[in-house]
Amino acid sequence: MKLMIGLETTVGDPTGVWGAFADGAEYFISIFQEGGAVLLSLMGGILPTLIVLLTAVNALVRLIGPEKIENLGVKASQPGLQWYPVRYMVLPFLAVFFLTNPMAYTMGRFLPEKYKPAFYDSAVSYVHPITGIFPHANPGELFVYLGIAAGIQTLGFGLGDLALRYLLVGLVVIFIRGIVTELITARMMARRGAAA
Amino acid sequence: MNGINALLVKVGRSVGGVVGTLYQAGRETVDTTIRNIIPFMAFISFIIGLVLTTGIGDWIANGIKGLASSLVGLLIVSVVCAIPILSPLLGPGAVIAQIVGTLLGVEIGRGNIPAQYSLPALFAINPQVGCDFIPVGLALGEAEPETVEVGVPAVLFSRLITGPLSVVIAYFASFGLYSSN
Repeated sequence: MKLMIGLETTVGDPTGVWGAFADGAEYFISIFQEGGAVLLSLMGGILPTLIVLLTAVNALVRLIGPEKIENLGVKASQPGLQWYPVRYMVLPFLAVFFLTNPMAYTMGRFLPEKYKPAFYDSAVSYVHPITGIFPHANPGELFVYLGIAAGIQTLGFGLGDLALRYLLVGLVVIFIRGIVTELITARMMARRGAAA
Repeated sequence: MNGINALLVKVGRSVGGVVGTLYQAGRETVDTTIRNIIPFMAFISFIIGLVLTTGIGDWIANGIKGLASSLVGLLIVSVVCAIPILSPLLGPGAVIAQIVGTLLGVEIGRGNIPAQYSLPALFAINPQVGCDFIPVGLALGEAEPETVEVGVPAVLFSRLITGPLSVVIAYFASFGLYSSN
């Protein structure tokens, strides 16, 4: 380029059909250049933190031992109002945290049949709210949160507030979801029982 | 002498155990990163590039701006995602939710959607979570076939109620979130 400037040669923009093709090609590649820049910012920005965090939490989970929460599963299977928060808040949280998606749903085996759909509903609804702070729980589906979080970052705001609220509201939502699904399941089971 | 030996063996064992665990955790992480995270980042980057460069972005912005920047709009989104026939189709791999989340993120970044709507939006785009996976999830919980038969519709119908409800809860929980700006 410098050499050409030195020779004072000027090259006009290509015109006509060929020019249109050239513009098209430039436009085409600009899409991927923009995408590449985004990829680089993801790889350079969030990925290193994510890898270190995932390693630390994975190690922690291994050191504690996921089988420890099985006792809680047995306890959560009891009827009674005080066990609702355990069954549809504490147990799903711990199951998703320690066993991650999809093995978290295996905790359902400690519960009676009538609670299983509600527990599954509760646990599966938590695999995204938890990723804001604990991405190890569902590393394959991070962009539900990360996609929206990227927009917040573009605006220059901190993500802590959003991540924490997502985590907490998620707990409330899975609690309600567990109760509603339990009620619906009980109704449908009763109806089937009456029909049989 | 024996006591010291035993102690050394014990220390060595536990240190080795911890280091081994950390190493294993690192290996697992890099594995997940390469198999799950980076492929999705590549895919998402392409979509963002497409949205930012072409006119598709403006087109989508016009479409979702009205929906994503009001409570009523978000409720409509959540009800659509929770429709029992649609929800299992929208579920797999959370791919749809991730793409929509990314698109919303781009629009939030461009200022087309107010930042405090990020929280209710996270719930509005996700009432279908796991709806494709109910039989498998229940099987992992060792449920009887009869429970699966009841459980699938029970969860699907529950989402119609709890999906919009979650948006309302998140909407009220979002007061004070990034609102000073």
